[in-house]
Amino acid sequence: MTMDDNKLTIDKITADLTHHIRINKGFLLWMGFLTVSLLICLYAYSLQLRNGLGVAGIRDFVTWGMYLSNFVFFVAASLIGMLISAVLGLIGMKWLTPITRIAETIAVAFAAVAGLVIVSDMGRPERLAYVFIYGRPQSPILWDVTVITTYFVLSLLLLFLPMIADMAIIHRKVASLPSWLKPIYKTLSLNFTDQPEQNKIISRSIRILLILLIPAALSIHTVTSWLFAVTSRAGWDSTVFGPYFVSGAFVAGSAAVIIAMYFFRKNYKLQDYLTDLHFNNMGKVLATVSLVYLYFNINEFLVPGYKLKRADAVHLQELFAGKDALMFWLVQIGGLILPILFLLFRRFRKPGPVLLISIAVLIGAWFKRYLIVIPTQEHPFLPIQHVPANFMHYSPTLIETLISVAPFILVLIIITLISKFFPVIPLHETAVEKGIDHIKFD
Amino acid sequence: MRFKNLLIIIFICSVGTRVAAQTWIVPDDQKAVVAPVKFTPDMQKQGEQLYSKNCQSCHGNMGKDNWAKLTPPPGDLAKDKAQKQTDGEIFYRITTGKIPMPEFRNILSEDERWSLIAFMRSFNPKYVQPNPVAKAAFTGRIVTLAMQYSDPMKKVLVTATEQLKDGQKGLASGVEVMLFVKRYFGKMQVGDIKTTNAKGEAAFEFPADLPGNKEGYVELTATVNDPKSVMMTTPANANLAIGVPTDKPSLTATRAWWSTRANAPVWILLTYTLSVLIVWGFIGYIVMSILRIKKLSKGDA
Repeated sequence: MTMDDNKLTIDKITADLTHHIRINKGFLLWMGFLTVSLLICLYAYSLQLRNGLGVAGIRDFVTWGMYLSNFVFFVAASLIGMLISAVLGLIGMKWLTPITRIAETIAVAFAAVAGLVIVSDMGRPERLAYVFIYGRPQSPILWDVTVITTYFVLSLLLLFLPMIADMAIIHRKVASLPSWLKPIYKTLSLNFTDQPEQNKIISRSIRILLILLIPAALSIHTVTSWLFAVTSRAGWDSTVFGPYFVSGAFVAGSAAVIIAMYFFRKNYKLQDYLTDLHFNNMGKVLATVSLVYLYFNINEFLVPGYKLKRADAVHLQELFAGKDALMFWLVQIGGLILPILFLLFRRFRKPGPVLLISIAVLIGAWFKRYLIVIPTQEHPFLPIQHVPANFMHYSPTLIETLISVAPFILVLIIITLISKFFPVIPLHETAVEKGIDHIKFD
Repeated sequence: MRFKNLLIIIFICSVGTRVAAQTWIVPDDQKAVVAPVKFTPDMQKQGEQLYSKNCQSCHGNMGKDNWAKLTPPPGDLAKDKAQKQTDGEIFYRITTGKIPMPEFRNILSEDERWSLIAFMRSFNPKYVQPNPVAKAAFTGRIVTLAMQYSDPMKKVLVTATEQLKDGQKGLASGVEVMLFVKRYFGKMQVGDIKTTNAKGEAAFEFPADLPGNKEGYVELTATVNDPKSVMMTTPANANLAIGVPTDKPSLTATRAWWSTRANAPVWILLTYTLSVLIVWGFIGYIVMSILRIKKLSKGDA
């Protein structure tokens, strides 16, 4: 490659991957919409702060309602950073490069908000610090808070490190950059000048992070599953809950990544970088993790289904043929079995169809968490006597729903900001992969 | 005309359902019961304290309508529905209870129950107390128990004395006595019910293998078996070193999974602390490396 070719390619890549970094009308409208929605939800939360958790549908029977199923969903979605970057990345799958930052962005956004989701379930949120002050090291709750914080920091670093070189390129090469953004990029670029020493530090740090990310990510969702599994209740009292949750998390996360890929490809015109190949491969990843999840689902229902201990029998009956049957079968068939069947065919792994499948999977994943958390609580081992009928059955209130929507808006805001002001696809890495071994910084 | 009929039907139905729902019937003779004394501010004060301890958790703050959401609803006792009852009705309901309301027969004395009613009535400006009727003087036996341990006999001796009509004290024979020993939850009866002999004594064989505390002490209580409450009795209590000295540490006294934070198992403490230190050590190292990236370029420029 001659020097001119080199320059041309790097200029073209830079232009392609950064042309969206500008404040346009669409962005302002979208952010305005998100902000107004968030304010409405925050008003609902202020009502809960003032009047107490009674404004939600949770009562003495179902004390973990939509907030907790939301929490499990958020932790699940954040796990995708580990699967894409660490597991598949360390194996050396090259096609992943344009997807890694999307996966990390989703991981950072969901992990950051997961902690807030838990706070929404607290009647006295100002006592959050008590978890550390009075927490017992034997309690999975302390472990949960610890690993979520750790995973968030690891993901944030993993998002930032490959961006250092990108920042250096952008603040030097992108002329159209708003002037107030330039000093920010310059600071974030850490004066990176593509020296071998600097590249070595970055690649070594990334490697350490990728290795740490695997146990950290496994811990966060395993510990979240233990919050349920260490409780002796029908539907939770299970030894496979750890892998059941982790595999389910990969399903939700893969679907989220595919949806994000589709929107970035369309809105930021990245067709040359996020190609049909990437959708095809991500479709295969989604099918694979869904199959693993299906396998754990079968274990989770078949084994207690044969023993039919009384509480299990009541619980399974409600899921299979009772009050929750419609939601259960929609989730299992529409959110898991049908997607697997469709994804086996190449034509359904094209961007359009795989987007629709992913949306179905992601919606199914949310309701799956709802089914894991709530129905079992409606059948406690020791029923409480002389309580009003609305204590027995859980139905979320409007205020509760708004408070549960707020974290989604926050995630969208974080993803929008990160993807708007930074390249969605790693710029420097893409350039290196296209054969540009040295970028001149002068 | 038709509209009027409809109203009458609705009225009858609503009254009918209300009567059906109200099934806690107080006998007429109990309804007529009145307090033995005139209510005083002191009684109201005592009643307020008793209310906050025994009643408030379900009935809420008086007049605030913040009672617990139970079925049937406990209701606010300052409101008309509660206040229109006679004193006798309220007294009967406190005494007997009806699920989910507990009975206070053995929890609050009669005087305390009347204090509660005095407190409750203080929220009703229209209330006029009916003339008190003092309780008739007590005419039954007045028995007091005492207890001691006889080492040679290996028996607990309970002695009953009673107040005689002439004011003198005498030994009480023919009194049924029970002996209890305190355990973790509640009391355990020792032996059967015994009847005092002519000397007013009842002897209980004490088991040789009963565990006591570290020094072997056991807490004993002797009471009179008087199910119909025809006597006025005073039980006897004693703390005697007649059990087997037992030193069982509590479940949270040693390091264990289920124990308190201070007694967390060493392996959990180590695993948790080391994991956190190692991972955050690496995070610290990476942050330092990132800072080095900046330093490296300075020399170059």
